[in-house]
Amino acid sequence: MEPLLRAVNLTKRFGGLVAVDGVSFDVRPGEVIGLVGDNGAGKSTFIKMISGVYQPDDGDIYFNGKKVNFTDPRDARDMGIETIYQDLALAENLDVGSNIFLGREMKKRSISEKLSQVIFSIVFALPLGALLAWAGLQFYKILGLVLGLVFGLAFGAVLGWLFGSITQLVDRRKMIGESAKALNRLEIEIPSFTQQVRNLSGGQRQSVAIARSIYWNARVMIMDEPTAALGVSEQHKVLTLVRTLASQGVPVIIISHNMQDVFAVADRIIILRRGKKVGEQIAAETTPDKIVSLMVGAETVHTMGVIPQALEGAGAGADS
Amino acid sequence: MTPEEKSIPMVSKTSRAEILKIVRQVWPWLFLILMVIVFAIISKTTNGVNFISYRSVQGILVYATQILLIGLAETIIIISGNGGVDLSVHYTLGFSAVIAAFIMRAMYAAHLTPVLTLAVGFSGGILLSIIPGWLNGMMVAKIKVPPFISTLGMGYAVYGIALLISRGQAIADQPDYLGQIGNGNLLYYWPKHGFTWLNIPAAASQADLQHIIPLIPNVVAITLVVTILIWFILAKTQFGQHIYAIGGNIQASIRSGIPVASTQTRAYTLAAVLAGIAGVIWATRFTSGAANAGEPTLLFAIAAVVIGGTSMFGGEGSVIGTIIGALIIATIQYGLVILGQQPYWQYVTVGVVVIIAVIVDQLGRRMEHD
Repeated sequence: MEPLLRAVNLTKRFGGLVAVDGVSFDVRPGEVIGLVGDNGAGKSTFIKMISGVYQPDDGDIYFNGKKVNFTDPRDARDMGIETIYQDLALAENLDVGSNIFLGREMKKRSISEKLSQVIFSIVFALPLGALLAWAGLQFYKILGLVLGLVFGLAFGAVLGWLFGSITQLVDRRKMIGESAKALNRLEIEIPSFTQQVRNLSGGQRQSVAIARSIYWNARVMIMDEPTAALGVSEQHKVLTLVRTLASQGVPVIIISHNMQDVFAVADRIIILRRGKKVGEQIAAETTPDKIVSLMVGAETVHTMGVIPQALEGAGAGADS
Repeated sequence: MTPEEKSIPMVSKTSRAEILKIVRQVWPWLFLILMVIVFAIISKTTNGVNFISYRSVQGILVYATQILLIGLAETIIIISGNGGVDLSVHYTLGFSAVIAAFIMRAMYAAHLTPVLTLAVGFSGGILLSIIPGWLNGMMVAKIKVPPFISTLGMGYAVYGIALLISRGQAIADQPDYLGQIGNGNLLYYWPKHGFTWLNIPAAASQADLQHIIPLIPNVVAITLVVTILIWFILAKTQFGQHIYAIGGNIQASIRSGIPVASTQTRAYTLAAVLAGIAGVIWATRFTSGAANAGEPTLLFAIAAVVIGGTSMFGGEGSVIGTIIGALIIATIQYGLVILGQQPYWQYVTVGVVVIIAVIVDQLGRRMEHD
């Protein structure tokens, strides 16, 4: 199958430090990739280049066969590369519906915000301009007229900018209905959609964050330590959800320290060490011990000759 | 997924959270009722005055207007979170009153028509108030100055300008019709004669005046309209939703594409417009303008916001809460006057109520997270 996302020789330097050094990988539809490595191995820097937070100093990213250049995270997201960080980016004071539609609220039918602001500006500016121009004329003749007119028009426009958005009404009922649908599709159960997210469990919050990405047409999902703060049964649920996503055709890249998790969900495991890719293994054909030894470098002593191969053989299950 | 895993027991936690939420919302109302009863009993037994009367309600509402308007400004800013608090709005109130009074005095002296004199004075006060609010917003949103510092500085600057314009004195010599707005009523009821709008019935003689019942003070009506507008903005519009979102999690808001800087700037500007309106109302009530017009209101307004259940950490709060907070404080102030007590007791009482509010809030939160 054609890779959906492909990174070739990505490199990122911070001053003298090479955080990520020529890492390549590809992601095919429907697979789960585990990205592992010790602290400082370059996992998050690598992920941030794919999600548009950092721009690579070297190397290319291909999405759907086309070379892409992300200048900021929104570029990546517009393409469907969604990243869920550990903090989940939820507003805990808001309900589930509001969080799924955070920043992209569903609105009741209305004129656009810009047009509304322009209309309000005109409605405020014309009478204020006339009024203050007249007042200025009484005291300072022509100069007063001009100043009053300018002042009235300008501040009328500001009032329009301020109050023009009053026409943009949030459609809560619709947002809750759509959220319910999105969560049902992923077989996620939430006790109440009007409940503040802060009253949900860790796993449920994670599910809300995932559902949000899916709702907005995520085509590749990147998850940073999704199970780190969860209890055992919740971990299990989130991992099940990851498999559900993959089975629905959305590949998932999981960053994790937890070998058990990685082996529970990943099809392929990519191991980074000190910014370099030191291994890529099929999960079914390897063991946690082997991965750990690659992560900490114990393995490199024995397989020194193999590593350059692993680096070159970016992609197609290069097994060190 | 196995069936028993499907439903994590959330119900008990949910219902308890709901109950606590209700308690936190209802206690100020109960407190207000209790306070009215206490005032009624004390005033009846000590000086024989009937506290529960139409006149008291009106008096309390008029007292509440200024606290409420400044309280609404603080509600918006405090909900927007991230250390948000506006320490300049009370000075903006004074600034607006001074500007309005300054303009109206000049126009009155020049014998210009009343309607236009009022219109220019009011719009001058409110529009110029936009400037400090917008600058506050820019400092907080763009330069990332902590709101505490930026609004503190802005407050003093505005206060100083208002003092310079007014030469440190109240701007008097106002048109006589100004007071009719500030102290007049929307509706008057003359038993057996019916209702009249805005003015005491022309047919009424001096002796009839005590029979005429003034209904709905103008300033209360204006404040009510403004309050509904702010409630609508916060509760119904996308801008309001964004204010809550930013107060809840600014990083998430930025990442999800909410125009954070613009929303914050608009929030501070809106707060200043509210202060401007409050300033103009002050000018109509006291038929003058003074730089220190809003001086005692700031902390009362913040107290009203806190009593109303708005979290100082942002993201949570409501207009209805601030209304009840303002009513409690106004009742305390008015009640002490009726009882003939030293007005200084109001500080003690408000302080105690604020502490109760915070304790109730904290207990509620702690139990919710258990």
